[in-house]
Amino acid sequence: MSSFVVYEAFFAGLKEGLKAGIIWYVLASLLHVKGMLRLQRAFIAGTLFSVIAAASFLFLNVTPEIREYIANSGEMSFALLLVASAAALLNSSGLRLFSLLDRVSGKAFLRNSAIFAASAIFFVPDISGTFIFIKDLSLLNERAYQTYASLAAGVSVSVLLISAMSRLLSRGLVSSFFELPQLLLFASMMKLTAGGTGGISEISLIPAVQRGLMKLSHDIIHQTFVMLMVPDHPLLKTTTWNFIGFFFGPNIASWETLLLFLLCPLMFIYYSLASPLPETAAAAGAERRRFVQSVLSDRRRKAVPVLLFVLLISASWFSQSGEKISAVKVPKAKPVVEDRGMVLIPVTDPTMDLKDGSLHKFVLSRSDKEIRIMVIMKPDGRISVCLDACEICPPDGYGLREDHVVCLYCNTPIPVVSLGEPGGCNPIPLAFAADDRFIRIAVDEIMKKRELINSSRSAEAAR
Amino acid sequence: MPFIELKNVIKEYRNTHALRGIDISIEKGQWLNLVGPSGSGKSTLLNIIGCLDSPTSGGIVIDGADISSFSEDEMAVFRREKTGFIFQQSHLIPYLSAVENVMLSQYFHSMADEKEAMEALTRVGLGHRLHHRPSQLSGGEQQRVCIARALINSPQILLADEPTGNLDRENTKNILELVKRLHEEEHFTIILVTHDPFVAQWGQRVLTMEDGRIKCDEFLCRL
Repeated sequence: MSSFVVYEAFFAGLKEGLKAGIIWYVLASLLHVKGMLRLQRAFIAGTLFSVIAAASFLFLNVTPEIREYIANSGEMSFALLLVASAAALLNSSGLRLFSLLDRVSGKAFLRNSAIFAASAIFFVPDISGTFIFIKDLSLLNERAYQTYASLAAGVSVSVLLISAMSRLLSRGLVSSFFELPQLLLFASMMKLTAGGTGGISEISLIPAVQRGLMKLSHDIIHQTFVMLMVPDHPLLKTTTWNFIGFFFGPNIASWETLLLFLLCPLMFIYYSLASPLPETAAAAGAERRRFVQSVLSDRRRKAVPVLLFVLLISASWFSQSGEKISAVKVPKAKPVVEDRGMVLIPVTDPTMDLKDGSLHKFVLSRSDKEIRIMVIMKPDGRISVCLDACEICPPDGYGLREDHVVCLYCNTPIPVVSLGEPGGCNPIPLAFAADDRFIRIAVDEIMKKRELINSSRSAEAAR
Repeated sequence: MPFIELKNVIKEYRNTHALRGIDISIEKGQWLNLVGPSGSGKSTLLNIIGCLDSPTSGGIVIDGADISSFSEDEMAVFRREKTGFIFQQSHLIPYLSAVENVMLSQYFHSMADEKEAMEALTRVGLGHRLHHRPSQLSGGEQQRVCIARALINSPQILLADEPTGNLDRENTKNILELVKRLHEEEHFTIILVTHDPFVAQWGQRVLTMEDGRIKCDEFLCRL
């Protein structure tokens, strides 16, 4: 166990050190060529700030909520990088969207602040995750100092490697491939390939965006019905919804995801290779050829990091989009009984564990009606108990697909983290009490909330 | 300030002293002929000025740059940017046409431009032989292709090592007239090595070498 811990800590340090070192070297090369090398101090300050801020987790009690928050902030910083790089790519493609930014970028204070903030946004989640990981590892080692020493050794080796790299690759060569958009894309690629840490979930980009787009597409379609004052959910049959649901299903969303990521980079590459050459004072001859060649060469070099990004995203898309969006799983409802005005559901029994993160359904038979209840443990560790129905749709219930529950009637994906919020397409939440053994739900609560369920039935359900 | 200035340039190959302290100043746009017997150091001097070789000692300044301290890479850049070469043998690529041979030179300089290469060949009188291969051209025509190839990248210095050594008198005269016309139009500096007295009388200055030294420096006419 001890050697495993030492190696893990070493490679965590090496990875973070290389990541910071490579980004620093590319940034410094770019700043050097532009005569703004002093700005690298803002990057170094931002990185040091990140290390100090992240080190606080060594002394804090890191709860699952904090881990979840750091993982989310890592993905958020990645998303910010992507948005910024897309905007910068559009800007460099000739669309002057940010003339205001051009003006403020002339001010040294703002430039320094932007670089400091960007480096902090980039590094705080990653280094925090690393420190939490190292803290976890140190608990596995009898001599905790070995873990921290291994981390320091990994960082030291990364410094040596970056130093060797800076001797092999001239700043002129490195900077010839980069401008601001390429630097941002490069940083986002670093984040995508090395953004996760052992203690924090790896960035799983494509499925997250895919699910977000599915939700967005659904909301757009639903809001269109609302604008037209068409009561879509009760009015349309499940078969119709299944057809409409195709447009916010995983296949369409998968392609939308790819398009979203690649639109700006592909536009930039097209611009680089196809846009007309600028006018030159040299009318003809070798001087004109030299000018044309330098422009074309510069465009091609600047397109290389963008092309790499396209390849990386495409590879991620191929590897992730197919796997992660799986079929909707609908568990069979288990019968529960009323006991002195309460429904008791065991947290664990030989056949199930409510804390396993999967969807569990129960059915309460009351006179001639059956009322379904769903229970799921959310990623933050809290249990959510809801009716297996919402206020809008006929009560066909929900299934689970990854970290969303999906309405079986209208295909609406609801993030599991948001369960417990009332209204709209959300499952109707139930008040409950829980201890280590049982979840207790008052029958009165169930009956009261049952009144909120849409009384209509889908044609299929009625049959 | 002279365009090319050599100060006490010495070149030694083991025990052979190819150049024994050469001092020359060449003005921009001058046509200088280097003459002398075989082994006198003419080609060695030409190669050193053209950055094909480096001196054992001495200083060489061309257009303000001290090329005697150049690295191999810097010499390559200098050759590419500043010089054009014509040799006694044409050294054309046999499986490429005349225009493709010229375009190859463009490619290594910056980028190929077929239209410009065709115009250059037309200027040297080969507009009707653009797509012929070297084996389909006469010796004089091959040297014309070489001249077009040497001048296509607008060099500041044209270096010619016995460019008419393989030609008869008529073709020699034609080539020299062509070079003279282009020199008058483009004003590049010419350094031409020859041991032919007929060729030596073309140009503006004749430098006679013997045993690695300058024996005689004769100005035929001033610029």
